[in-house]
Amino acid sequence: MNIAVLILCMMLVTYIPRVLPAFVVEKMRFGKRFGKFINLIPYTAMTALIFPGILGVDAERWYIGAIGGVIAIALACFKKIPSSLVVLASVLAVMVAYWII
Amino acid sequence: MKEKGMIQQKSWLKSYAYGIKKSVPVFFGFLPVAITFAIMARGVGMSSMETIAMSVFVFAGASQIMAVGMIGSGAGMISIVLATFVLNLRHVIMSTCIFKRVRIKNFFLKLISALSVTDEGFAIITTEDEKNCNIPFALGVITLTYLSWVFGTVIGVIASNILPKIVADSFGIALYALFLALIVPNVKRNLRLFITVIVTAVINTVLCRFIDISWAIIISTLAGAALGTFIVNDEPKDNAIGEVTSV
Repeated sequence: MNIAVLILCMMLVTYIPRVLPAFVVEKMRFGKRFGKFINLIPYTAMTALIFPGILGVDAERWYIGAIGGVIAIALACFKKIPSSLVVLASVLAVMVAYWII
Repeated sequence: MKEKGMIQQKSWLKSYAYGIKKSVPVFFGFLPVAITFAIMARGVGMSSMETIAMSVFVFAGASQIMAVGMIGSGAGMISIVLATFVLNLRHVIMSTCIFKRVRIKNFFLKLISALSVTDEGFAIITTEDEKNCNIPFALGVITLTYLSWVFGTVIGVIASNILPKIVADSFGIALYALFLALIVPNVKRNLRLFITVIVTAVINTVLCRFIDISWAIIISTLAGAALGTFIVNDEPKDNAIGEVTSV
């Protein structure tokens, strides 16, 4: 396979969905319910990306991902903790879990 | 006049720096994914240059890892490109949200800003207070997310053999932890949003058993948000949820 051609094609099918709305969105009119719908998407999209994917962090042991997830949720409940710290703590928790279990 | 320009330049830089600051967690999130991608790509016989070039030009973690996996299992070019396209369809929705928040008139700025449409860039921009979501902020997010991805790939190509496996594996949780860190504070003080999130998680978990995960994610995102419009009320909030804007 010609990797250069593959990269070019992948670039096109990745970039087009990203750029198209930039030229369409200002022509769209949002009703009340649709506005709500669009505003909810960040949360539903991230949720769909997290569950059930997080349990597959380790292909054989679902609880490895669960441990990292619980730590992240617990720390994220404190408003003062910055998200980079939440991420690092979660990574460390998983590292410890791998090491012990 | 000159002074006014200076002030504008200063606030421009401030917003840009803020965008970079907000993207720091992504650096930790991208690094392991980029390293994983690089290790896999080298494993299926892609050269160092091809590996780095793919990150430079495609800039899509999940797609690249999937593509490399497919190369490894002997898939053809057309099926790889098609799978990439399906996997990236969610970016149409994300891009719509981003460009609705960050209004851009300039043609070239639109072309560049499209690069902010990654799962992570989207997460950062759409959970940020709307008054901070301007063009330099988006450019700041793009700068650090893009550089993290390319830099991570280079590191992966160079150091894939040196990094202990347990460390590389542990970073697999980073992206999920980042998403949780972004949604939990908002979900915590809004029970209806919490219900919406749970409903979405259940839909996606069930769908994943029957259909391909990339389709499951698209469908459950849309279905969850559609159901959410009946669940979430209109209380104004200081973030994306609840502010119902008619344009």
